[in-house]
Amino acid sequence: MDFDIIFGNAARAAFGPEAIILALAAIGLNIHFGFTGLLNFGQVGFIMLGAYGTSVAVATFGWSLWVGIPIGLFLALALAVALGIPTLRLHAVMFAIVTIAAAEIIRILIGSTDAIGLTGGPLSVSFDAGAFFDLNPYADGPQDRYGVGTFAFTGQQMWVITVGWLLVALVSFGVFLIIRSPWGRVLKSIREDQDAARSLGKNVFSYKMQALMIGGVIGGMAGVIDAIKTSGADPNGFRPQVTFYTYTALLLGGTATYLGPVLGAILFWFLREWIESFLRQLAAEAWLPGAIADFLEGSEGIISVGMVGLALVLLMLFRPQGITGNRIEMQLDAR
Amino acid sequence: MPADRIPSKESAPDDRSSFMDSARRTTEVEPILTVHPKPGVAKPNPILTMDGLRRSFGGLTAVDIDHLEIERGIVTALIGPNGAGKTTLFNLITGFDRADRGRWEFNGQMVTSPSPDRLARRGMVRTFQLTKSLAKLSVLQNMLLGAPHQIGEQLWAAPFRPLWRNQEQANTERADELLEQFNLAHMRDELAGTLSGGQRKLLEMARALMSDPALVMLDEPMAGVNPALAQSLLGHITELALSGVTVVYIEHDMDVVSGISDWVVVLAQGQVIAEGGPWKVIHDEVVIDAYLGRRRAGTSS
Ligand SMILES: Nc1ncnc2c1ncn2[C@@H]1O[C@H](COP(=O)(O)OP(=O)(O)O)[C@@H](O)[C@H]1O
Ligand SMILES: [Mg+2]
Repeated sequence: MDFDIIFGNAARAAFGPEAIILALAAIGLNIHFGFTGLLNFGQVGFIMLGAYGTSVAVATFGWSLWVGIPIGLFLALALAVALGIPTLRLHAVMFAIVTIAAAEIIRILIGSTDAIGLTGGPLSVSFDAGAFFDLNPYADGPQDRYGVGTFAFTGQQMWVITVGWLLVALVSFGVFLIIRSPWGRVLKSIREDQDAARSLGKNVFSYKMQALMIGGVIGGMAGVIDAIKTSGADPNGFRPQVTFYTYTALLLGGTATYLGPVLGAILFWFLREWIESFLRQLAAEAWLPGAIADFLEGSEGIISVGMVGLALVLLMLFRPQGITGNRIEMQLDAR
Repeated sequence: MPADRIPSKESAPDDRSSFMDSARRTTEVEPILTVHPKPGVAKPNPILTMDGLRRSFGGLTAVDIDHLEIERGIVTALIGPNGAGKTTLFNLITGFDRADRGRWEFNGQMVTSPSPDRLARRGMVRTFQLTKSLAKLSVLQNMLLGAPHQIGEQLWAAPFRPLWRNQEQANTERADELLEQFNLAHMRDELAGTLSGGQRKLLEMARALMSDPALVMLDEPMAGVNPALAQSLLGHITELALSGVTVVYIEHDMDVVSGISDWVVVLAQGQVIAEGGPWKVIHDEVVIDAYLGRRRAGTSS
């Protein structure tokens, strides 16, 4: 059992591209669910369109990556409009159902064999993200590593991480600016009581739509980073659990806070990777009975996700406001 | 933003007799006193006119009004026993519910597509029987939400504080004045969820006034409010009318009504069964019957 390796792995996951993608997805979801009270259960749909929009534009149409990225973001925006117009006036539960269904439908369409010519279908799509990595200032030889022990990244990863975390910081700051404004105050009033907002002259539909679009585009950014990181996209990467991981990160960090989604994403990946590494090492221990070792072997990933879920349940029971949330605000919910 | 819309506590008449003598009595209220007190009667200067307004829930007709006018600049009480349709009528007029049929005119304009937010922006604000103070926002934030035409509520301007800082400042000053008048200044920075029931009613009313409305519709503002607070609420209602705002408020206790109302409309089973000056209406036999639950005069089973 080498805890240096376990912590190294966990830290690498916590600061690596996966955490960045999750953080962006959670920042977007925080605008929907945290600040506006929209029950969006299809955040993965926005991520998927961001990733596929970018990938398909470059791989299928041969356009520049710098054209592909805006296309990905635009598709995420378009999804927000398409989802919002028919459903935002309906009951919150209807909205939740439509979002989860829409994201699954899009994934199935993208991954269908009929779509092979466009999206690669079930085979996934890959493209050359050279335009992005050409700008990489980090030395990227086969021996170049940045970090200590297992907490180390290649030059390419460093470039993704640098740009990614800068983007997270910028987006978080932007969200801070709009949420602390009178505009953000209207969102919070809608979250609490739409009719109160209406009685004060606020056009609730319009504000919900704006929130849906902004959070959706931020979700699209997560997809763009994902596409660049993997130089492509795969339909299996956009199953509904991505949305639930995003909710987990958001709830861990604290909904309706500025840093909650970012801290939550870091913590989510740290915990998940820590547990997985730990189990992997455990399975290799000689003293473990063979049956248990066999059971652990290969299922570390599933168990670690289960453990993160358990952590979430415990958190909801004992600290429902998340790490950064405000306890008093939370208690007012009970009324 | 006129800071003197509502006279401050000091200048307000604090006993009924001086209030009765005030100038408003002659300029605003006297014309209404000449109106013949019968259901659906035309008024000299109505701010709200309803025609053939009807709303039923299944087999139950909650509101069925042939014609009703609300006079501008005075306090009108809408009374009636529980379930008479008072709240439903408010919901229809303010766009929170759809009428089966009927038309109404607000401030000289026909209301064609009643949407609550649009009507509010046109100057018709309401409060709710079950208060809708926003518990997780501070008292001050609640107040600021009531302010109209906010630049900072538009997304393009929201990130740029200099664009809306001055307006926010002015709105905050206005909010502080109102909070002072409504005895909520000490709760300014507390979350609204920590207020007592009566304080929430006060907050909701003060918040509605942030927009300088033409018509304020209060649904049972006194319900559940302790007597001391209720007294100050009544005071605020008369002060409002003094400053030129039209007030319609719902109350089902007849005794409260006589003190502060210039005109009383009585609703029973969705229909206007009487209207007139408070004393006349309260001693009207039809009204007493309705309150005692007897069959209305002239209706057979
Ligand atoms: N949404 C609704 N669905 C069904 N019945 C309703 C609804 N709202 C009100 N009612 C009925 O309409 C009648 C009038 O209700 P309401 O306007 O709340 O009365 P009031 O405010 O005068 O006490 C009552 O009989 C009530 O039960
Ligand atoms: Mg009622």
